[in-house]
Amino acid sequence: MSADELCYAGIRELGGLFRRRELGPVDYATDLLRRIETLDKTLNAYVTVTAERALADARAAETALARGDAGPLTGIPIAYKDLYATRGIRTTAGSALLADWVPDADCTCVARLQRAGMVMLGKLITHEFAFGIQFPGHRFPPARNPWNLDHIPGGSSSGSGAALAAGLTVGSLGSDTGGSIRGPAAFCGIAGLKPTYGRVSRAGVVTLSWTLDHTGPMARSAEDCAFMLQALAGHDPADPASARQPVADYLANLEGGVKGLRVGVVRDYFFEQVEPETVAAFERAVGELGRLGATVRDVTIPSMHAAPSFMVILLAEAFAYHERDLRERPELYGPVLREKLMAGGLFRADEYVQAQRLRSQIREDTARTLQAVDVLVTPTALGPAPPFRVVLDPDFPFAKSNMGPFNVTGLPTLALPTGFSTTGLPLSFQISGRPFDEATVLRVGHAYQRATDWHRRRPPVRA
Amino acid sequence: MPELPPDVTLDEVKERARLAGLPIPLERLSLVRGFLSNALKPIRALDSRAVRTVEPAVIFHAEVDAKGGAESGS
Repeated sequence: MSADELCYAGIRELGGLFRRRELGPVDYATDLLRRIETLDKTLNAYVTVTAERALADARAAETALARGDAGPLTGIPIAYKDLYATRGIRTTAGSALLADWVPDADCTCVARLQRAGMVMLGKLITHEFAFGIQFPGHRFPPARNPWNLDHIPGGSSSGSGAALAAGLTVGSLGSDTGGSIRGPAAFCGIAGLKPTYGRVSRAGVVTLSWTLDHTGPMARSAEDCAFMLQALAGHDPADPASARQPVADYLANLEGGVKGLRVGVVRDYFFEQVEPETVAAFERAVGELGRLGATVRDVTIPSMHAAPSFMVILLAEAFAYHERDLRERPELYGPVLREKLMAGGLFRADEYVQAQRLRSQIREDTARTLQAVDVLVTPTALGPAPPFRVVLDPDFPFAKSNMGPFNVTGLPTLALPTGFSTTGLPLSFQISGRPFDEATVLRVGHAYQRATDWHRRRPPVRA
Repeated sequence: MPELPPDVTLDEVKERARLAGLPIPLERLSLVRGFLSNALKPIRALDSRAVRTVEPAVIFHAEVDAKGGAESGS
Protein backbone atom coordinates (compact mmCIF):
# COMPACT_ATOMS: atom_id res chain seq x y z
CA MET A 1 0.00 0.00 0.00
CA SER A 2 1.45 3.41 -0.96
CA ALA A 3 1.94 6.13 1.66
CA ASP A 4 -0.87 8.11 0.01
CA GLU A 5 -3.24 5.13 0.30
CA LEU A 6 -2.17 4.39 3.86
CA CYS A 7 -3.13 7.85 5.08
CA TYR A 8 -6.69 7.07 3.97
CA ALA A 9 -6.87 3.66 5.67
CA GLY A 10 -9.82 2.85 7.92
CA ILE A 11 -9.81 1.88 11.59
CA ARG A 12 -10.36 -1.86 11.02
CA GLU A 13 -7.58 -2.01 8.43
CA LEU A 14 -5.11 -0.04 10.57
CA GLY A 15 -5.91 -2.13 13.64
CA GLY A 16 -5.09 -5.27 11.65
CA LEU A 17 -1.80 -3.80 10.43
CA PHE A 18 -0.88 -2.78 13.99
CA ARG A 19 -1.73 -6.17 15.50
CA ARG A 20 0.15 -8.08 12.81
CA ARG A 21 3.17 -5.78 13.37
CA GLU A 22 3.12 -4.75 9.72
CA LEU A 23 2.90 -1.11 10.77
CA GLY A 24 3.63 0.63 14.07
CA PRO A 25 1.57 3.48 15.57
CA VAL A 26 4.72 5.61 15.99
CA ASP A 27 5.69 5.29 12.31
CA TYR A 28 2.11 5.90 11.25
CA ALA A 29 1.70 8.99 13.46
CA THR A 30 5.06 10.28 12.18
CA ASP A 31 3.89 9.90 8.57
CA LEU A 32 0.64 11.75 9.27
CA LEU A 33 2.46 14.54 11.12
CA ARG A 34 4.73 14.95 8.09
CA ARG A 35 1.69 15.04 5.81
CA ILE A 36 0.06 17.68 8.02
CA GLU A 37 3.21 19.78 7.89
CA THR A 38 3.18 19.67 4.09
CA LEU A 39 -0.51 20.00 3.26
CA ASP A 40 -1.94 22.03 6.09
CA LYS A 41 -0.04 25.17 5.07
CA THR A 42 -2.71 25.43 2.38
CA LEU A 43 -5.71 23.78 4.05
CA ASN A 44 -5.58 25.46 7.52
CA ALA A 45 -7.43 22.52 9.10
CA TYR A 46 -5.28 22.48 12.24
CA VAL A 47 -5.12 25.25 14.84
CA THR A 48 -2.64 23.34 16.98
CA VAL A 49 -0.56 20.30 16.05
CA THR A 50 0.40 18.29 19.14
CA ALA A 51 3.34 16.39 17.65
CA GLU A 52 5.02 15.49 20.92
CA ARG A 53 1.77 14.37 22.44
CA ALA A 54 1.00 12.29 19.33
CA LEU A 55 4.30 10.46 19.53
CA ALA A 56 3.89 9.85 23.27
CA ASP A 57 0.38 8.46 22.70
CA ALA A 58 1.70 6.32 19.84
CA ARG A 59 4.49 4.91 22.00
CA ALA A 60 1.93 4.06 24.69
CA ALA A 61 -0.15 2.33 21.98
CA GLU A 62 2.87 0.27 20.91
CA THR A 63 3.35 -0.83 24.52
CA ALA A 64 -0.31 -1.84 24.75
CA LEU A 65 -0.05 -3.75 21.47
CA ALA A 66 3.08 -5.53 22.70
CA ARG A 67 1.26 -6.46 25.93
CA GLY A 68 -1.60 -7.83 23.87
CA ASP A 69 -4.25 -5.65 25.52
CA ALA A 70 -4.97 -3.33 22.62
CA GLY A 71 -8.55 -2.36 21.74
CA PRO A 72 -9.89 -1.48 18.28
CA LEU A 73 -8.90 2.19 18.66
CA THR A 74 -5.41 1.62 20.03
CA GLY A 75 -2.89 3.60 18.01
CA ILE A 76 -5.53 5.18 15.74
CA PRO A 77 -4.83 8.90 15.12
CA ILE A 78 -7.48 11.45 16.02
CA ALA A 79 -7.78 15.23 15.97
CA TYR A 80 -10.38 17.16 17.94
CA LYS A 81 -12.52 20.09 16.92
CA ASP A 82 -11.11 23.03 18.86
CA LEU A 83 -14.34 23.29 20.83
CA TYR A 84 -13.43 20.22 22.92
CA ALA A 85 -11.46 21.04 26.08
CA THR A 86 -8.06 19.38 26.16
CA ARG A 87 -5.94 19.43 29.30
CA GLY A 88 -2.83 21.57 28.90
CA ILE A 89 -3.58 22.26 25.22
CA ARG A 90 -5.17 25.56 24.19
CA THR A 91 -8.80 25.35 23.17
CA THR A 92 -9.80 28.39 21.17
CA ALA A 93 -13.33 27.69 19.91
CA GLY A 94 -11.99 29.42 16.79
CA SER A 95 -12.34 32.71 18.62
CA ALA A 96 -10.19 35.63 19.70
CA LEU A 97 -12.04 35.55 23.03
CA LEU A 98 -10.63 32.11 23.94
CA ALA A 99 -7.46 32.32 21.84
CA ASP A 100 -5.23 31.69 24.87
CA TRP A 101 -7.48 29.42 26.97
CA VAL A 102 -5.66 26.34 28.22
CA PRO A 103 -8.12 24.01 30.01
CA ASP A 104 -6.99 22.14 33.10
CA ALA A 105 -9.03 19.04 32.27
CA ASP A 106 -10.01 16.98 29.23
CA CYS A 107 -13.67 17.00 28.29
CA THR A 108 -15.44 13.66 28.65
CA CYS A 109 -15.25 12.71 24.95
CA VAL A 110 -11.51 13.35 24.74
CA ALA A 111 -10.92 11.45 27.98
CA ARG A 112 -12.88 8.46 26.63
CA LEU A 113 -11.10 8.30 23.27
CA GLN A 114 -7.67 8.79 24.82
CA ARG A 115 -8.48 6.03 27.31
CA ALA A 116 -9.36 3.84 24.32
CA GLY A 117 -5.80 4.33 23.07
CA MET A 118 -6.24 6.94 20.35
CA VAL A 119 -3.32 9.11 19.31
CA MET A 120 -3.95 12.86 19.52
CA LEU A 121 -2.57 14.68 16.47
CA GLY A 122 -3.92 18.09 17.43
CA LYS A 123 -6.85 20.49 17.43
CA LEU A 124 -8.89 21.39 14.36
CA ILE A 125 -10.26 24.81 13.46
CA THR A 126 -13.94 25.43 14.05
CA HIS A 127 -16.02 28.31 12.80
CA GLU A 128 -15.90 30.95 15.54
CA PHE A 129 -17.85 29.63 18.54
CA ALA A 130 -19.27 26.98 16.19
CA PHE A 131 -21.41 29.67 14.55
CA GLY A 132 -19.47 32.44 12.83
CA ILE A 133 -17.31 32.37 9.74
CA GLN A 134 -13.70 33.54 9.80
CA PHE A 135 -13.77 36.70 7.73
CA PRO A 136 -10.45 38.05 6.37
CA GLY A 137 -8.43 39.52 9.24
CA HIS A 138 -9.79 37.05 11.80
CA ARG A 139 -7.38 35.72 14.44
CA PHE A 140 -7.53 32.29 12.76
CA PRO A 141 -7.67 31.67 9.00
CA PRO A 142 -10.54 29.51 7.75
CA ALA A 143 -10.02 25.89 6.70
CA ARG A 144 -10.33 25.26 2.96
CA ASN A 145 -12.06 22.46 1.12
CA PRO A 146 -9.53 19.88 -0.20
CA TRP A 147 -11.79 19.22 -3.20
CA ASN A 148 -11.51 22.84 -4.29
CA LEU A 149 -9.58 25.36 -2.24
CA ASP A 150 -11.85 28.21 -3.33
CA HIS A 151 -14.80 26.54 -1.63
CA ILE A 152 -15.68 26.29 2.06
CA PRO A 153 -15.38 22.90 3.76
CA GLY A 154 -18.65 23.56 5.58
CA GLY A 155 -18.99 24.36 9.23
CA SER A 156 -18.77 24.68 11.95
CA SER A 157 -16.58 21.53 12.17
CA SER A 158 -14.65 22.89 9.20
CA GLY A 159 -11.18 21.66 10.19
CA SER A 160 -12.54 18.18 10.91
CA GLY A 161 -14.10 17.91 7.44
CA ALA A 162 -11.02 19.24 5.65
CA ALA A 163 -8.52 17.13 7.64
CA LEU A 164 -10.44 13.89 7.07
CA ALA A 165 -10.90 14.51 3.35
CA ALA A 166 -7.20 15.29 2.92
CA GLY A 167 -5.98 12.27 4.90
CA LEU A 168 -4.61 14.40 7.74
CA THR A 169 -6.27 12.28 10.45
CA VAL A 170 -8.22 9.02 10.68
CA GLY A 171 -10.88 10.15 13.11
CA SER A 172 -12.26 13.39 14.43
CA LEU A 173 -14.96 14.78 16.67
CA GLY A 174 -17.40 17.44 15.62
CA SER A 175 -20.30 19.20 17.26
CA ASP A 176 -23.69 19.66 15.66
CA THR A 177 -26.26 22.29 16.69
CA GLY A 178 -27.87 22.87 13.31
CA GLY A 179 -25.77 20.59 11.11
CA SER A 180 -22.16 21.29 12.04
CA ILE A 181 -21.11 17.62 11.84
CA ARG A 182 -23.21 16.75 8.79
CA GLY A 183 -22.56 19.93 6.78
CA PRO A 184 -18.77 19.51 6.64
CA ALA A 185 -19.28 15.78 6.06
CA ALA A 186 -21.48 16.62 3.06
CA PHE A 187 -19.18 19.29 1.63
CA CYS A 188 -15.97 17.27 2.11
CA GLY A 189 -17.22 13.83 1.02
CA ILE A 190 -16.79 12.12 4.39
CA ALA A 191 -19.04 10.53 7.07
CA GLY A 192 -20.47 12.40 10.04
CA LEU A 193 -22.75 11.02 12.74
CA LYS A 194 -24.92 13.21 14.94
CA PRO A 195 -25.99 10.72 17.61
CA THR A 196 -29.23 10.86 19.58
CA TYR A 197 -29.48 13.85 21.94
CA GLY A 198 -28.04 12.60 25.23
CA ARG A 199 -26.12 9.66 23.73
CA VAL A 200 -22.66 11.30 23.72
CA SER A 201 -21.54 13.70 26.44
CA ARG A 202 -21.14 17.43 25.80
CA ALA A 203 -19.42 18.09 29.12
CA GLY A 204 -16.35 20.23 28.52
CA VAL A 205 -17.37 21.18 24.98
CA VAL A 206 -18.01 24.92 24.46
CA THR A 207 -21.76 25.52 24.30
CA LEU A 208 -23.66 27.07 21.43
CA SER A 209 -27.29 26.18 22.18
CA TRP A 210 -27.67 23.57 24.87
CA THR A 211 -31.02 22.11 23.88
CA LEU A 212 -29.78 21.60 20.30
CA ASP A 213 -26.05 20.85 20.81
CA HIS A 214 -24.85 17.35 19.99
CA THR A 215 -21.35 15.86 19.89
CA GLY A 216 -20.31 12.99 17.67
CA PRO A 217 -17.76 11.26 15.47
CA MET A 218 -16.58 12.26 12.01
CA ALA A 219 -14.60 9.82 9.88
CA ARG A 220 -14.32 8.56 6.31
CA SER A 221 -16.86 5.76 6.66
CA ALA A 222 -19.92 4.68 8.60
CA GLU A 223 -17.88 1.80 9.98
CA ASP A 224 -15.24 4.13 11.43
CA CYS A 225 -18.02 6.24 12.99
CA ALA A 226 -19.34 3.02 14.61
CA PHE A 227 -15.92 2.22 16.08
CA MET A 228 -15.65 5.68 17.59
CA LEU A 229 -19.24 5.85 18.83
CA GLN A 230 -18.67 2.60 20.72
CA ALA A 231 -16.01 4.30 22.83
CA LEU A 232 -17.88 7.62 23.14
CA ALA A 233 -21.42 6.55 24.05
CA GLY A 234 -22.65 6.16 27.59
CA HIS A 235 -23.97 8.11 30.53
CA ASP A 236 -21.95 11.05 31.84
CA PRO A 237 -23.16 12.71 35.05
CA ALA A 238 -21.27 15.86 34.05
CA ASP A 239 -23.73 16.48 31.17
CA PRO A 240 -27.24 17.20 32.48
CA ALA A 241 -28.78 15.92 29.21
CA SER A 242 -26.80 12.69 29.20
CA ALA A 243 -29.03 9.63 28.86
CA ARG A 244 -28.90 6.47 30.95
CA GLN A 245 -30.06 4.34 28.04
CA PRO A 246 -27.85 1.23 27.72
CA VAL A 247 -25.21 1.42 25.00
CA ALA A 248 -25.80 -0.91 22.04
CA ASP A 249 -23.09 -2.91 20.28
CA TYR A 250 -22.72 -0.80 17.14
CA LEU A 251 -20.44 -3.24 15.38
CA ALA A 252 -22.22 -6.52 16.12
CA ASN A 253 -24.80 -6.21 13.36
CA LEU A 254 -23.04 -3.70 11.14
CA GLU A 255 -22.77 -6.27 8.35
CA GLY A 256 -26.46 -7.18 8.68
CA GLY A 257 -27.51 -5.43 5.46
CA VAL A 258 -30.80 -3.72 4.71
CA LYS A 259 -32.91 -6.58 3.39
CA GLY A 260 -36.47 -6.07 4.61
CA LEU A 261 -35.69 -2.76 6.25
CA ARG A 262 -38.28 -0.01 5.71
CA VAL A 263 -36.81 3.25 4.39
CA GLY A 264 -38.95 6.41 4.34
CA VAL A 265 -38.17 9.29 1.98
CA VAL A 266 -39.48 12.56 3.45
CA ARG A 267 -40.61 14.40 0.32
CA ASP A 268 -42.13 17.51 1.87
CA TYR A 269 -39.83 20.31 3.09
CA PHE A 270 -36.52 18.46 2.47
CA PHE A 271 -36.58 18.87 -1.32
CA GLU A 272 -37.42 22.57 -1.39
CA GLN A 273 -34.55 24.63 -2.87
CA VAL A 274 -32.41 21.49 -3.35
CA GLU A 275 -30.29 21.61 -6.51
CA PRO A 276 -31.13 19.08 -9.26
CA GLU A 277 -27.71 17.35 -9.10
CA THR A 278 -28.14 16.75 -5.38
CA VAL A 279 -31.63 15.35 -5.95
CA ALA A 280 -30.37 13.07 -8.73
CA ALA A 281 -27.54 11.72 -6.54
CA PHE A 282 -30.03 11.23 -3.71
CA GLU A 283 -32.41 9.26 -5.93
CA ARG A 284 -29.53 7.02 -7.06
CA ALA A 285 -28.58 6.41 -3.41
CA VAL A 286 -32.15 5.52 -2.49
CA GLY A 287 -32.33 3.28 -5.57
CA GLU A 288 -29.22 1.51 -4.33
CA LEU A 289 -30.83 0.87 -0.94
CA GLY A 290 -33.81 -0.62 -2.82
CA ARG A 291 -31.53 -2.87 -4.87
CA LEU A 292 -29.92 -4.03 -1.62
CA GLY A 293 -33.31 -5.24 -0.40
CA ALA A 294 -34.79 -2.32 1.53
CA THR A 295 -38.42 -1.35 1.04
CA VAL A 296 -38.47 2.31 0.07
CA ARG A 297 -41.54 4.53 0.25
CA ASP A 298 -42.43 8.19 0.56
CA VAL A 299 -43.57 9.51 3.93
CA THR A 300 -44.74 12.89 5.21
CA ILE A 301 -44.13 14.80 8.42
CA PRO A 302 -46.90 17.43 8.46
CA SER A 303 -45.34 19.94 10.87
CA MET A 304 -41.88 19.89 9.27
CA HIS A 305 -42.52 23.21 7.53
CA ALA A 306 -42.29 24.84 10.95
CA ALA A 307 -38.70 23.60 11.32
CA PRO A 308 -37.04 26.99 10.58
CA SER A 309 -38.39 28.14 13.96
CA PHE A 310 -35.54 26.17 15.52
CA MET A 311 -33.39 29.24 14.82
CA VAL A 312 -35.35 31.10 17.51
CA ILE A 313 -34.19 28.49 20.01
CA LEU A 314 -30.63 28.40 18.71
CA LEU A 315 -30.17 32.18 18.59
CA ALA A 316 -31.87 32.85 21.92
CA GLU A 317 -29.84 30.22 23.76
CA ALA A 318 -26.60 31.33 22.07
CA PHE A 319 -27.30 34.92 23.14
CA ALA A 320 -28.02 33.77 26.70
CA TYR A 321 -24.65 31.99 26.76
CA HIS A 322 -22.66 34.89 25.27
CA GLU A 323 -24.56 37.90 26.62
CA ARG A 324 -22.06 39.09 29.22
CA ASP A 325 -19.09 38.94 26.80
CA LEU A 326 -21.13 40.48 23.99
CA ARG A 327 -21.96 43.48 26.14
CA GLU A 328 -18.54 43.84 27.79
CA ARG A 329 -16.09 42.80 25.03
CA PRO A 330 -17.95 42.94 21.71
CA GLU A 331 -14.72 43.77 19.86
CA LEU A 332 -13.49 40.22 20.54
CA TYR A 333 -16.23 38.73 18.35
CA GLY A 334 -15.81 38.53 14.60
CA PRO A 335 -17.93 40.70 12.33
CA VAL A 336 -21.37 39.28 11.56
CA LEU A 337 -21.08 36.63 14.33
CA ARG A 338 -21.52 39.47 16.81
CA GLU A 339 -24.74 40.58 15.12
CA LYS A 340 -25.91 37.00 14.65
CA LEU A 341 -25.59 36.46 18.40
CA MET A 342 -27.20 39.81 19.18
CA ALA A 343 -30.16 38.81 17.01
CA GLY A 344 -30.83 36.17 19.64
CA GLY A 345 -31.33 38.92 22.21
CA LEU A 346 -34.17 40.42 20.17
CA PHE A 347 -36.67 37.60 20.56
CA ARG A 348 -39.50 37.90 23.06
CA ALA A 349 -40.05 35.28 25.74
CA ASP A 350 -43.31 34.12 24.14
CA GLU A 351 -41.55 33.57 20.80
CA TYR A 352 -39.00 31.24 22.42
CA VAL A 353 -41.83 29.36 24.12
CA GLN A 354 -43.80 29.03 20.87
CA ALA A 355 -40.68 27.71 19.15
CA GLN A 356 -40.37 25.03 21.82
CA ARG A 357 -44.06 24.15 21.36
CA LEU A 358 -43.53 23.78 17.62
CA ARG A 359 -40.50 21.66 18.38
CA SER A 360 -42.65 19.29 20.44
CA GLN A 361 -45.09 19.01 17.57
CA ILE A 362 -42.31 18.24 15.06
CA ARG A 363 -40.87 15.63 17.43
CA GLU A 364 -44.25 13.95 17.86
CA ASP A 365 -45.00 13.93 14.12
CA THR A 366 -41.55 12.55 13.30
CA ALA A 367 -41.85 9.85 15.98
CA ARG A 368 -45.21 8.84 14.50
CA THR A 369 -43.66 8.59 11.03
CA LEU A 370 -40.87 6.43 12.42
CA GLN A 371 -43.45 3.89 13.64
CA ALA A 372 -44.16 3.01 10.02
CA VAL A 373 -40.56 2.97 8.74
CA ASP A 374 -37.19 2.08 10.28
CA VAL A 375 -35.17 5.01 8.97
CA LEU A 376 -35.75 8.29 7.15
CA VAL A 377 -33.55 9.48 4.30
CA THR A 378 -33.20 13.05 3.03
CA PRO A 379 -30.62 15.15 1.16
CA THR A 380 -28.10 16.54 3.68
CA ALA A 381 -27.41 19.89 2.05
CA LEU A 382 -29.15 21.86 -0.67
CA GLY A 383 -26.15 21.57 -3.00
CA PRO A 384 -22.37 21.22 -2.99
CA ALA A 385 -20.03 23.49 -0.99
CA PRO A 386 -20.39 27.15 -1.97
CA PRO A 387 -17.32 29.26 -2.75
CA PHE A 388 -15.79 31.57 -0.14
CA ARG A 389 -16.67 34.61 -2.23
CA VAL A 390 -20.36 33.86 -1.68
CA VAL A 391 -20.34 33.11 2.05
CA LEU A 392 -17.96 35.95 2.88
CA ASP A 393 -20.56 38.46 1.75
CA PRO A 394 -21.62 40.01 5.09
CA ASP A 395 -25.23 39.89 3.91
CA PHE A 396 -25.11 36.16 3.09
CA PRO A 397 -28.25 34.87 4.80
CA PHE A 398 -28.85 31.65 6.68
CA ALA A 399 -29.67 29.09 4.01
CA LYS A 400 -32.68 26.86 4.50
CA SER A 401 -31.48 23.87 6.52
CA ASN A 402 -32.20 20.19 5.94
CA MET A 403 -30.10 19.34 8.99
CA GLY A 404 -31.70 21.50 11.70
CA PRO A 405 -34.87 19.35 11.88
CA PHE A 406 -32.80 16.50 13.31
CA ASN A 407 -31.35 18.75 16.01
CA VAL A 408 -34.91 19.77 16.83
CA THR A 409 -36.00 16.13 17.08
CA GLY A 410 -32.71 14.90 18.59
CA LEU A 411 -32.76 11.84 16.31
CA PRO A 412 -29.55 10.03 15.32
CA THR A 413 -28.53 11.08 11.81
CA LEU A 414 -25.64 10.00 9.63
CA ALA A 415 -24.41 11.95 6.59
CA LEU A 416 -22.67 10.03 3.81
CA PRO A 417 -21.39 10.90 0.31
CA THR A 418 -23.66 10.08 -2.65
CA GLY A 419 -21.58 11.30 -5.57
CA PHE A 420 -20.17 14.47 -7.08
CA SER A 421 -21.41 17.59 -8.78
CA THR A 422 -20.32 18.39 -12.32
CA THR A 423 -17.88 20.82 -10.69
CA GLY A 424 -16.23 17.92 -8.82
CA LEU A 425 -17.60 18.67 -5.37
CA PRO A 426 -19.09 16.00 -3.05
CA LEU A 427 -22.84 15.49 -2.57
CA SER A 428 -24.48 13.78 0.39
CA PHE A 429 -27.58 12.22 1.92
CA GLN A 430 -28.53 11.71 5.54
CA ILE A 431 -30.02 8.66 7.26
CA SER A 432 -32.04 9.25 10.44
CA GLY A 433 -33.33 6.68 12.88
CA ARG A 434 -35.34 6.25 16.05
CA PRO A 435 -33.97 7.58 19.35
CA PHE A 436 -30.91 5.57 20.42
CA ASP A 437 -31.08 3.40 17.32
CA GLU A 438 -27.69 4.45 15.98
CA ALA A 439 -27.03 0.75 15.29
CA THR A 440 -29.65 0.66 12.50
CA VAL A 441 -28.58 4.01 11.07
CA LEU A 442 -24.97 2.83 10.91
CA ARG A 443 -25.99 -0.53 9.47
CA VAL A 444 -27.85 1.17 6.61
CA GLY A 445 -24.90 3.49 6.02
CA HIS A 446 -22.40 0.65 6.04
CA ALA A 447 -24.50 -1.42 3.62
CA TYR A 448 -24.68 1.57 1.27
CA GLN A 449 -20.94 2.14 1.46
CA ARG A 450 -20.18 -1.53 0.78
CA ALA A 451 -22.13 -1.16 -2.45
CA THR A 452 -20.70 2.20 -3.52
CA ASP A 453 -17.27 3.77 -3.68
CA TRP A 454 -17.97 7.50 -3.24
CA HIS A 455 -16.23 7.43 0.14
CA ARG A 456 -13.11 5.98 -1.50
CA ARG A 457 -12.65 8.91 -3.92
CA ARG A 458 -9.80 11.24 -2.95
CA PRO A 459 -9.42 14.99 -3.44
CA PRO A 460 -6.60 16.39 -5.61
CA VAL A 461 -4.11 16.99 -2.79
CA ARG A 462 -0.68 15.34 -2.75
CA ALA A 463 1.97 15.41 -0.05
CA MET B 1 -54.74 43.29 19.57
CA PRO B 2 -53.82 43.65 15.87
CA GLU B 3 -52.34 40.66 14.06
CA LEU B 4 -48.58 40.77 13.36
CA PRO B 5 -47.43 40.91 9.73
CA PRO B 6 -45.64 37.73 8.56
CA ASP B 7 -42.34 39.55 8.05
CA VAL B 8 -40.32 41.50 10.58
CA THR B 9 -39.77 45.11 9.47
CA LEU B 10 -36.57 47.14 9.85
CA ASP B 11 -38.38 49.51 12.23
CA GLU B 12 -39.35 46.53 14.37
CA VAL B 13 -35.73 45.33 14.49
CA LYS B 14 -34.60 48.82 15.55
CA GLU B 15 -37.24 48.95 18.27
CA ARG B 16 -36.37 45.47 19.57
CA ALA B 17 -32.66 46.36 19.63
CA ARG B 18 -33.42 49.57 21.52
CA LEU B 19 -35.48 47.72 24.11
CA ALA B 20 -32.79 45.05 24.53
CA GLY B 21 -30.04 47.67 24.80
CA LEU B 22 -28.09 46.05 21.97
CA PRO B 23 -26.14 48.34 19.65
CA ILE B 24 -26.64 46.75 16.24
CA PRO B 25 -24.83 48.75 13.52
CA LEU B 26 -27.09 50.24 10.86
CA GLU B 27 -25.35 48.31 8.08
CA ARG B 28 -26.21 45.01 9.78
CA LEU B 29 -29.86 45.74 10.50
CA SER B 30 -31.14 44.17 7.31
CA LEU B 31 -29.09 41.02 7.99
CA VAL B 32 -30.60 40.77 11.47
CA ARG B 33 -34.05 41.42 10.04
CA GLY B 34 -33.50 38.42 7.75
CA PHE B 35 -32.58 36.15 10.69
CA LEU B 36 -35.62 37.25 12.67
CA SER B 37 -38.03 37.04 9.73
CA ASN B 38 -37.02 33.49 8.75
CA ALA B 39 -37.07 32.19 12.29
CA LEU B 40 -40.35 33.86 13.24
CA LYS B 41 -42.31 33.05 10.09
CA PRO B 42 -43.60 29.68 11.38
CA ILE B 43 -44.37 31.21 14.75
CA ARG B 44 -46.34 34.07 13.26
CA ALA B 45 -48.25 31.56 11.16
CA LEU B 46 -49.08 29.52 14.26
CA ASP B 47 -52.48 29.46 15.90
CA SER B 48 -51.18 29.24 19.45
CA ARG B 49 -54.50 27.77 20.59
CA ALA B 50 -54.00 24.74 18.34
CA VAL B 51 -50.65 23.63 19.72
CA ARG B 52 -50.16 21.69 22.92
CA THR B 53 -48.16 23.22 25.74
CA VAL B 54 -44.54 22.22 26.09
CA GLU B 55 -43.82 19.01 27.99
CA PRO B 56 -43.19 19.36 31.73
CA ALA B 57 -39.97 21.17 32.53
CA VAL B 58 -39.24 18.75 35.36
CA ILE B 59 -39.35 14.99 34.96
CA PHE B 60 -38.80 12.83 38.02
CA HIS B 61 -37.47 9.31 37.77
CA ALA B 62 -38.31 7.45 40.97
CA GLU B 63 -35.25 5.19 40.90
CA VAL B 64 -32.73 7.88 40.12
CA ASP B 65 -34.19 10.62 42.28
CA ALA B 66 -34.46 8.33 45.29
CA LYS B 67 -30.67 8.04 45.14
CA GLY B 68 -30.30 11.82 44.97
CA GLY B 69 -29.33 11.85 41.28
CA ALA B 70 -30.95 13.88 38.55
CA GLU B 71 -31.84 12.87 35.06
CA SER B 72 -33.49 14.87 32.37
CA GLY B 73 -35.56 13.39 29.59
CA SER B 74 -33.78 12.68 26.37
